[in-house]
Amino acid sequence: MSRRIRIYHHPACSAHDTGPGHPERPARLAAIAAALRQPEFATLDWQEAPLASFVQLTRVHPSAYVESVLAAIPSAGHSFLDGDTVVSPASGEAALRAAGAVCAAVEDVLAGTIDSAFCLVRPPGHHAERAQAMGFCLFNNVAVGAAHALSLDVERLAIVDFDVHHGNGTQDIFRSRPECLYISSHQSPLYPGTGYPHERGAGNILNLPLKPRSGSQEFRAAWREHGLPALQAHGPQLILISAGFDAHARDPLASLYLDEEDYAWLTGELLAVAECHAQGRIVSALEGGYDLDALAASAAAHVRALLGI
Amino acid sequence: MYQFLHDKVADAMSDRPLTVSSDTPLAELTRLFDQHDFNGIPVVDAQQRLLGFVTKLDLLKAFRFTPEALIPPYAAIMAQPVSTVMTTEPVCVTEDMPLTRVLELMVDLRTKSFPVVRGERLVGIIAREDLLAALRRATA
Repeated sequence: MSRRIRIYHHPACSAHDTGPGHPERPARLAAIAAALRQPEFATLDWQEAPLASFVQLTRVHPSAYVESVLAAIPSAGHSFLDGDTVVSPASGEAALRAAGAVCAAVEDVLAGTIDSAFCLVRPPGHHAERAQAMGFCLFNNVAVGAAHALSLDVERLAIVDFDVHHGNGTQDIFRSRPECLYISSHQSPLYPGTGYPHERGAGNILNLPLKPRSGSQEFRAAWREHGLPALQAHGPQLILISAGFDAHARDPLASLYLDEEDYAWLTGELLAVAECHAQGRIVSALEGGYDLDALAASAAAHVRALLGI
Repeated sequence: MYQFLHDKVADAMSDRPLTVSSDTPLAELTRLFDQHDFNGIPVVDAQQRLLGFVTKLDLLKAFRFTPEALIPPYAAIMAQPVSTVMTTEPVCVTEDMPLTRVLELMVDLRTKSFPVVRGERLVGIIAREDLLAALRRATA
């Protein structure tokens, strides 16, 4: 019997308009949704994401920051929060739904109503620091969800980030919280310029930089030799995933050479650890991935692995 | 072919080459590359002293991914001066150098053209096409 997987989504996430030609675009969600609507995924349970509450957001972001981001949303047109990060009238609700999705998914897996969840949301989150929007990200969705879990009955969790860019925001938020292990594989050098092995936080940060043009072999070796053993040793009661698919060979924003099988492999390995320590509880949320076909195929491979098929 | 063994850079180079100054914006450099069929352009000061060499590859390098931005900021990059991307110590040749040696150097370094200097001053440029033309002339 396949595992019970819920997909959190919301129309507001597609209404977040980043302007003509921007790679972080609504069609990303549509491409993944089309793949996940195929018959093989018939058991997926689709739910609309709720809004994150102010209390949930301010566990990781200062209240003044949350207010300033929402105040920066224009009533018409587009505004740039930095050179890469564009917002428009629907962006505020999208950002609240994206973080709210991860919180709701955390509650669901802890309640045991589902085994795991995939949050099909945007804007992405892992570049958002405590008080800095950047790299297409407004609120750190996965960090907000992790802090929510820690406010409930989770004492020890892990965040796994396989987006091609380092999750500087997640590292910033949890660098002195040993109960949260953060492991990231990413291309280096690349934006945002963080993610070196010497960045260890309180011993709870593990960065696995990959050189440009690295592929499946280097990626799997880094996880097999370093990432997965560290995850096992931490014994997380819940695993959250920052699921960016831009390390794929066809992605236009980076230079790694993964394919969808690599995402299926790592997801399967993460599920094995989750079944050992966390009753199989995984909450995954979309981060990057900018080639629509590669993104859809990779996300489908990821969800297939979450389903255990 | 014997003639080619005697040919010198001065016999095959283009004199009065197109040049840019070190503060020429990359947008202007792009326009020059669009207008002329050159792969690289010497960078000189007001006294024609060679300061560097800038190629299409140097221009492309300016648009590589960096830690500073997720998406390379096109307009800001195009406003940068040539000095930010040029090679400051390009391999140069002199007018009296045999073409056979220039050919060896060009193949070894995979370079498309060399500035020709007299002391510090730029006096010409010699490209792959010039060597091919000299070979053709020498064997006609």
